[in-house]
Amino acid sequence: MPQPELTGGCQCGAVRYRAASLGRAALCHCRMCQKAFGSFFGPLVTGFGVTWTRGEPSWFQSSDVARRGFCRDCGTPLAYDLGPDDGSLEMAIGTLDNPERAPPTIHVNTHDRLSFFETLTALPVRDESVRPLTERRKGAPVVSHQHPDHDTAVWPPKEGFAA
Amino acid sequence: MTDYFTGGCQCGAVRYRVAGPVRHASICNCRMCQKALGNLTAPFVSFQAPVEWTRSRPTLFRSSMRVQRGFCNQCGTPLTYQRGDMPISLTIGSLDRPNVVVPTVELARDNRHPVIGHIDELREESQGATDEERDILAILRSYQHPDQDTEAWTPGGGQ
Repeated sequence: MPQPELTGGCQCGAVRYRAASLGRAALCHCRMCQKAFGSFFGPLVTGFGVTWTRGEPSWFQSSDVARRGFCRDCGTPLAYDLGPDDGSLEMAIGTLDNPERAPPTIHVNTHDRLSFFETLTALPVRDESVRPLTERRKGAPVVSHQHPDHDTAVWPPKEGFAA
Repeated sequence: MTDYFTGGCQCGAVRYRVAGPVRHASICNCRMCQKALGNLTAPFVSFQAPVEWTRSRPTLFRSSMRVQRGFCNQCGTPLTYQRGDMPISLTIGSLDRPNVVVPTVELARDNRHPVIGHIDELREESQGATDEERDILAILRSYQHPDQDTEAWTPGGGQ
């Protein structure tokens, strides 16, 4: 059975993309990925045949050799472009509609790896049951404005978001 | 003299400072945080003192009814998460010294990306032979704002 299409995009849905196939997935620990992603590492997978199917990212030239693509409307980091000859583009794994399609296999630039990185998977989990329901929901369900994890013909919804 | 935590976006257009102490530091695996940060998990910290914006301010996206997320509209760096009137949370990677804030709790573990539980089993890419080769900033000209406040700064300047 063929795999579903490789699609993804930013949080607000202004920028959407499709990839023909994916290559190596890596966790990059360099300080530039940390800061660009606001995170502990940059999770990047090589995307082949990437096409922008709605909108286009804005680009920030983060060094003399690379630029980084993001959504100007919601900020989601989308891509890292080193301009390789094969036209591939490094895509932010969390922006894939199904990020499980890109399991990382390697750590890169580990010289900047944060000292507590190894402890992150052993953190305690917040016990949701002890937080009062009123604090969590205040009586109403959360209405997400995030684009769904699949392509849409029209976005944002014509009828708007539920109040 | 107060010791401040400082930080900002990659290009340096938005900078902040905040006095301690840390109120709450976490990683969150929920799908909203994953997509907003383009990442597998999202590290956030809030402080007991208010966040002060020392250069410009983030642009806000209302990601759900009660939550706004702030980012730099020049370079995209995700910077903040704020629910209602709760204290602003900052992305830990945007701190100038992210290693001084250690998360103590994990949120939305049921949505963990599968690699998170096996992160120490990944192989490591071989490093360069010299310190210079090992330091990516030594082999390219970075346009990232330095990890400290600057008197004056032109984002992406010198290109």
